[in-house]
Amino acid sequence: MTDMTRRNFGLLAGASLATLSTPLFAPTAFGQAKPKVVVIGGGPGGGTVARYLAKDSGGAIDVTLIEQQKTFTTCFFSNLYVGGFRDYKSITHNYDKVKKAGVKVVHAMATAIDRDKKQVVVGKQRIPYDRLVVAPGIDLKFDSVPGYSEAAASIMPHAWKPGPQTQLLVKKLNALKDGDTIVMIAPPNPFRCPPGPYERVSMFAHVLKKKGHKKSKIIVIDPKPAFSKQAVFMEGWEKHYPGMIEWQDPKMHGGIKGVDPKTGVVKTDFAEYKAALCNVIPAQMAGKIARDANLANQTGWCEIHPESMKSKVDPNIFVLGDASIAGDMPKSAFSANSQAKVAAMVIRSELTQSRAFPARYSNTCWSLIAPDDDIKVGGNFEPGDGKIKAAPGFVSQKGESADIRKQNYKESVDWYNGIVADIFG
Amino acid sequence: MTRRVVRGAALAAAAAFFASAELRAADLELGRYLATECMTCHGTASATSTIPNIFGLGEGHFVEVIRAYRVKALPNPIMQSIAERLTDEDIAALAAYFQTAKK
Ligand SMILES: Cc1cc2nc3c(=O)[nH]c(=O)nc-3n(C[C@H](O)[C@H](O)[C@H](O)COP(=O)(O)OP(=O)(O)OC[C@H]3O[C@@H](n4cnc5c(N)ncnc54)[C@H](O)[C@@H]3O)c2cc1C
Ligand code: HEC
Repeated sequence: MTDMTRRNFGLLAGASLATLSTPLFAPTAFGQAKPKVVVIGGGPGGGTVARYLAKDSGGAIDVTLIEQQKTFTTCFFSNLYVGGFRDYKSITHNYDKVKKAGVKVVHAMATAIDRDKKQVVVGKQRIPYDRLVVAPGIDLKFDSVPGYSEAAASIMPHAWKPGPQTQLLVKKLNALKDGDTIVMIAPPNPFRCPPGPYERVSMFAHVLKKKGHKKSKIIVIDPKPAFSKQAVFMEGWEKHYPGMIEWQDPKMHGGIKGVDPKTGVVKTDFAEYKAALCNVIPAQMAGKIARDANLANQTGWCEIHPESMKSKVDPNIFVLGDASIAGDMPKSAFSANSQAKVAAMVIRSELTQSRAFPARYSNTCWSLIAPDDDIKVGGNFEPGDGKIKAAPGFVSQKGESADIRKQNYKESVDWYNGIVADIFG
Repeated sequence: MTRRVVRGAALAAAAAFFASAELRAADLELGRYLATECMTCHGTASATSTIPNIFGLGEGHFVEVIRAYRVKALPNPIMQSIAERLTDEDIAALAAYFQTAKK
């Protein structure tokens, strides 16, 4: 902290509300023009950072958000849409309030990053930046499952990017008849939303149970030996959907041999299934724009400095959310939103000399198993050992009371409203 | 235990806390930064929501409750975890911020 800020602070300590809602520090003149920040991707990472930069700098930073879509359907709570707890509209949001916060929103695809010139290429246009935030989310490695492809996703939906894929999944789910088999191919680590596939399986089961299915089965072919909140999920599956869900680890299936979109057949080393609905969630990597700009390493994800979310390969670029290697933090909307606040604080301090604080991150992920039976996992994260390091956290336990589980569900609904307002205004 | 029950218990601690210099020098800008974390869950809370509204909370109550979560005298694991890494200075900064901040 400088003397200057200390003095300002003395004055502000007793200041009124009006003072608080305007920026605490006027930007120092940085040449003539306002410093420019460009953000690629208007999801939980990009939306949050753009809004916070515009809001907290009080207009001192020129913020442009480049997002290809006009509306954003959240992946988070899309499983509740699958389960019939939410409608599609309630998980779809627009950028009107982001614009109102003072962000210039460009609905177009960023086609390249010219790191030498510090410009983002959007078709024929070039948008200059002083700092760039890259938050493009994930791309799917379709060929990680033999027989699967982008075209096959119109028959075997992944629904791991929000929108029409999720609608297709719901359509197919609702058309199932008693005795049908659902097969889910779960993704290998690391992937977006570690408990997500298992919450989705729960929602599949809930829908089948509600339809009165007695003979339908859900087979989960998992490349991992274990998964997030496994003990509590499995307890819940036995309780609410006895005998319906069969989860197989690699020892049980021996390996995924492939899928055939034409016939719906799924083969493992040990068995063959005819799936009426096959949900293939392939392996994942950082969004294309980040990989094309060489921000990703050989793993396909982008290394960052844990104190700032700054890219390890370019000091003018920050990478947020799913695309980043955020150490112990899971790839979640909560994490992306948390990382965005650290990045916004650091960027403001670099561009407008506002005060910098030590980075702090946190995350909580709720998952719905059945109506009013919701579980959670979460904790704090801070820079440590060269990465974003987890402090001991919390996780739902087996045998918890119905009251706790119901309270969890209500919390998750409030959280959804809160985070959506934090991202989209 | 509920959030209300704990109030009496932590009162003495809070009183001592108020007498300390920390609160008088509450670092509002620190509070503002730390508060960004809270917005994710509390940002749209209302009088009837499960995640309670914390805007406009009196500083005394605020400090008391967070300290109770910090020593796990209140049961919710989320708020225990959030409170765990807050120092007294952090709590004072947050309390001062939320007392006057608007959503
Ligand atoms: C089924 C499911 C359930 C989930 N449940 C939860 C949950 O309960 N809680 C939770 O916290 N998280 C959950 N998640 C995870 C969460 O959705 C992601 O972690 C989160 O969306 C990541 O945010 P992001 O900003 O990194 O990327 P994204 O949300 O993917 O946003 C990236 C945006 O960038 C845009 N974009 C990409 N490239 C370009 C380009 N070149 N030009 C312009 N725009 C571009 C995209 O259109 C997109 O809008 C879930 C995910 C799934 C799939
Ligand atoms: C992940 C969601 C989440 C986050 C993030 C969060 N809270 Fe909470 N908060 C809750 C929940 C849930 C409760 C209710 C807990 C209970 O039932 O005891 C709560 C309760 C509280 C209360 C008690 C209010 C009262 O009147 O009794 C205070 C104060 C509070 N939070 C402050 C904060 C502060 C300050 C932050 C940020 C540093 C924060 N919370 C971040 C979820 C959250």
